[in-house]
Amino acid sequence: MKLTRFSALLLLVVRGLLAGVSGPVRAGESELRFPPPEFESDYVMPPGITTPPPRGVVREYADLAVLLGALGVAAWLVHRRRSRRGLAALSIFSLVYFGFIRHGCICPIGAPQNVAYGLFTPEYTLPLTVLLFFLAPLVFALFAGRTFCAAVCPHGALQDLVLLRPVKVPLWVEQGLAPLPYLFLGAGLVLAATGAGFLICRWDPFVPLFRMSGSFLMLSLGGVFVVASMFIGRPFCRFLCPYGALLRLAALVSRWRVRITPTTCTQCRLCEHSCPFGAIREPVNLPATPAALAPERRRLGWLLVAVPLLVALGAWVGPRVAVPAARLHPNVALLERYVAEHAARAETASAASATSSTAAATPVASPAPPGAGAAAVPAAPTPESRALVRAELEVSRLVAQAAELRRRLTTAGAWLGGWVGLVLGLRLVTLSVRTARTDFEPDRGACLACGRCYLSCPNERLRRGLISPEEAARLTAAPPLAAARGGA
Amino acid sequence: MPTPEVNAGLPAAAPPPPEVARAVHRAWQIAALFCAVVVMVLVAVHELARHDDPLKSPQLAALKAQLLVEPQNEALKEQIRALDLRLRRRHAWLLAVYRDGAWLLAGAAVALVVLGKLHARWHAELPRPRPRPDAAERYARATHRARALAAGVGALALAALGWLSLSARSPVPTDPAALEKWLARLPGGTPGETAAADLPDPAEYAANWPRFLGPTGNPRVTNLALALKFDLATGAGLRWKTPLDAPGFNSPLIWSNRVFLSGGDAGLRRVFAFDLASGRLAWERAVTNVPGSPARLPEVPESTGFAASTMATDGRRVYVLFANGDLAAFTLDGAPVWAKNLGAPHNPYGHATSLVTWRDRLLVQYDQGEPEENLSRLYALEGATGRVLWQKNRPVGASWASPVVFEAAGKPQIGTLGGDFVIAYHAAEGTELWRARLLSGEITPSPHFAAGRFLGVSPGDRLFALRPDGTGDVTKSHLVWETDDLVPDITSPVSDDAHVFTVLSHGVVGCHDLQTGKLVWEHELDFEVNASPALVGERLYVFGTKGAVAVLAAGPAARELARLDLGEGVYASPALAQGVMVVRTVQTLFCVGPDTAPALEAKRP
Repeated sequence: MKLTRFSALLLLVVRGLLAGVSGPVRAGESELRFPPPEFESDYVMPPGITTPPPRGVVREYADLAVLLGALGVAAWLVHRRRSRRGLAALSIFSLVYFGFIRHGCICPIGAPQNVAYGLFTPEYTLPLTVLLFFLAPLVFALFAGRTFCAAVCPHGALQDLVLLRPVKVPLWVEQGLAPLPYLFLGAGLVLAATGAGFLICRWDPFVPLFRMSGSFLMLSLGGVFVVASMFIGRPFCRFLCPYGALLRLAALVSRWRVRITPTTCTQCRLCEHSCPFGAIREPVNLPATPAALAPERRRLGWLLVAVPLLVALGAWVGPRVAVPAARLHPNVALLERYVAEHAARAETASAASATSSTAAATPVASPAPPGAGAAAVPAAPTPESRALVRAELEVSRLVAQAAELRRRLTTAGAWLGGWVGLVLGLRLVTLSVRTARTDFEPDRGACLACGRCYLSCPNERLRRGLISPEEAARLTAAPPLAAARGGA
Repeated sequence: MPTPEVNAGLPAAAPPPPEVARAVHRAWQIAALFCAVVVMVLVAVHELARHDDPLKSPQLAALKAQLLVEPQNEALKEQIRALDLRLRRRHAWLLAVYRDGAWLLAGAAVALVVLGKLHARWHAELPRPRPRPDAAERYARATHRARALAAGVGALALAALGWLSLSARSPVPTDPAALEKWLARLPGGTPGETAAADLPDPAEYAANWPRFLGPTGNPRVTNLALALKFDLATGAGLRWKTPLDAPGFNSPLIWSNRVFLSGGDAGLRRVFAFDLASGRLAWERAVTNVPGSPARLPEVPESTGFAASTMATDGRRVYVLFANGDLAAFTLDGAPVWAKNLGAPHNPYGHATSLVTWRDRLLVQYDQGEPEENLSRLYALEGATGRVLWQKNRPVGASWASPVVFEAAGKPQIGTLGGDFVIAYHAAEGTELWRARLLSGEITPSPHFAAGRFLGVSPGDRLFALRPDGTGDVTKSHLVWETDDLVPDITSPVSDDAHVFTVLSHGVVGCHDLQTGKLVWEHELDFEVNASPALVGERLYVFGTKGAVAVLAAGPAARELARLDLGEGVYASPALAQGVMVVRTVQTLFCVGPDTAPALEAKRP
């Protein structure tokens, strides 16, 4: 009772708080939201329009044109203009257009799933626009680095724009968590290819925010990411984004790389902390003495041996998750819920019939003759049974679908498990390979091309005329430089 | 040391006056607080109201369950309506709260970020690089830790996969053999379906007359030798006769020792069961107070009436449909099982399509209105409960032909006629298998399946045979033959292994070759016919609307074996099962047996 009163009071307060903004709630809205109550009338909602309107296709091509234009502008801003301000403005545009206007769909992040689904599902024709959405940022990354991440991706833009006080994530955390996006990508592709579902879209934390609608869990997750983004630079992009994993690979071999300095690195260390995403690597020159090299070589050898073992282990474990993975498909989830509910009802019915032999009254008014036997009263439909009926699905058909999906997931699970083992193995191997660097430079794969580091370089400032040659010379001759050189 | 002004990552911002900085900082704090409050309120509202989902309300579900027990309880209905409306209003209110809260939060978040950025910019710490001579050591340490972390991530991923595989329990078995067993236990694969073991076997179904025109839709029996002559007035040649007080044109059914038929008018609609051995009325039930039944009855011409649709039985229940859309099920002993209304059909001549059963399902072809109105449906209902298992929209207007269920191309098919189309559906799933545009006019004669051919009639236009093994539009590809000779307009054709017999309403009988459709012979009767003929052994029985009966030889040449006069018109097709023929005239139900035992006048109990 107290709780009810409290909740009523709280709701009243909230309503009062929000009344000025919301205006009156239309009573008609309640009638429109759900189908009318059913008194055995088998009311069927009229069929809706299932053909997408022609304008939808036009908009997709318009989106593609905007994407290509934005990628081009971003590449120009990153490599030619070297303008952080321009990239920030483009980020705002991308956030508004691709995020809040187009609601984050269609987006390149989810597009790999469409490609995988199209490759393995003959009856699905991959729309050209989706394919181009998938390919365009990758092609740009092959030439110009992660320009899509720089200012075109609405997810990245949102995280970037809310960044207030970036906390430096230690390098070891950054590098240790680097496999996560590849694991997410692998899971997304496998589930899409088997037809189980689009995991990446389903667990996208930002799309519900763009749409201002979604489940409580996903909205909360989005909120957590936004709050985290205020203090950790782009956490989703760095530690989870599956498309970012692909872009990272493409950027590793990109034709033009992001350079902090327009000329030569003076090693003044002024850029060292300018990147909130931890993508700037300092010069390093590891000692190459036999005493130091021997254990590293041994470790590398062991890890190279371990890679196929990890792949095999993963391939063994992977197929065992076919049952829970199949549940991602709505029909399989519905089947399991229906069967569980059916079993519970059957149990209840048998318990009831055991305790009482008297049956309920019959639904037809005409009286039954004495001793004619009780008529069966249909059980009240549940959301699950209604969903089956409305979807015009039968249990046997769903079971066949579930069995087929599980069969496919068993095979695909082995691939996914193998992929997990391979990613982790290769990560351990790459972390055991020596790196030598002489200058401060962005990590080619990790650099999001945001342009924050440009103005921290005295040479860049000199190029732009922000400082005089004397000031630049004084900076490059400053003690830290000499110390850094000596330290390296 | 580099000067701060020069080395800032961003162009150095001019420091604001202290009071401005303080105000911005204070505003930032207020925005942060406001965001936190809105978030907390929204979360609290969500937590408090999440059980008020109108679709999941236990209170509403309990009331609805109660309504199933007391379908006529008007107070209960009102209670449900009131609760439903209250829940919906509350839900709409909540949605409005969420929407407003989201906008408030978005606005406050933008303010928070803008003010925060200003504050951060004014208080930015400029870089002060220091010599760090231990780069190699730090790098080595970092990679060492990173390896450990990556290994930890891997172990965690594998552990998560293992935990998922071990903990995930599914009520649906994964092993194929277990799955097969489980499926067999599942009652027919559909919700609440009667166990397969509870259904009569196909031989029992075939030995009875469970639907209009018999178990196959082709009114033919081969193992019966009826008395050639019988007289309704004297009772000669009859096993029994029973006066019938049941207005209606539907045909009788026979199941085991019972004969079922329905009758009714605008005032009262009833189901009758007679004892097959004696003709005595076993029980009768009125179908009244059906939930959803329209208060105002549709206008139905007398020539059709309210009980034109023939009943059907699956051997466990009998089903009846009246022209006002009332559909009801009774046990064979007359106990009501369920009743519902399909909505009064928009049919200018009244609904006349008969019911059909398949396994434990009741199939209702409910064609009505005009094609563009999209009102026509084919329903598959669960016989035990009346629940709609599936339904299909049909692109046709009102029609009067009854569907037929047959097995062809390895699939159970429902063949339907209506509007312009012959359409076949998968009997289990309801998916459309094939269609042919071969019809026109007002479709009344029912189709049947014989010798691998689907035989249908476009009234007065064409009689045709299709191969029922196609997909999609088979109009041209699967048409075996068609003919415009002696095409019936009301009655349904009947086939033996070699011929198709048609009877036109003005009394002309035609015999067509089953393989080619060519007319073999024709014979003119001098009476009007509305009832579909029946083939008993080598005899074709044709009943006239004025009581005349012609018995013709079902052979390659026209030959009339007998001519009888019942004295009462016949509009219903006879039922032929259990070694007898049961005929419904306008006022009498009588039974013709193979022997000529003395007639027995049955008394109504």
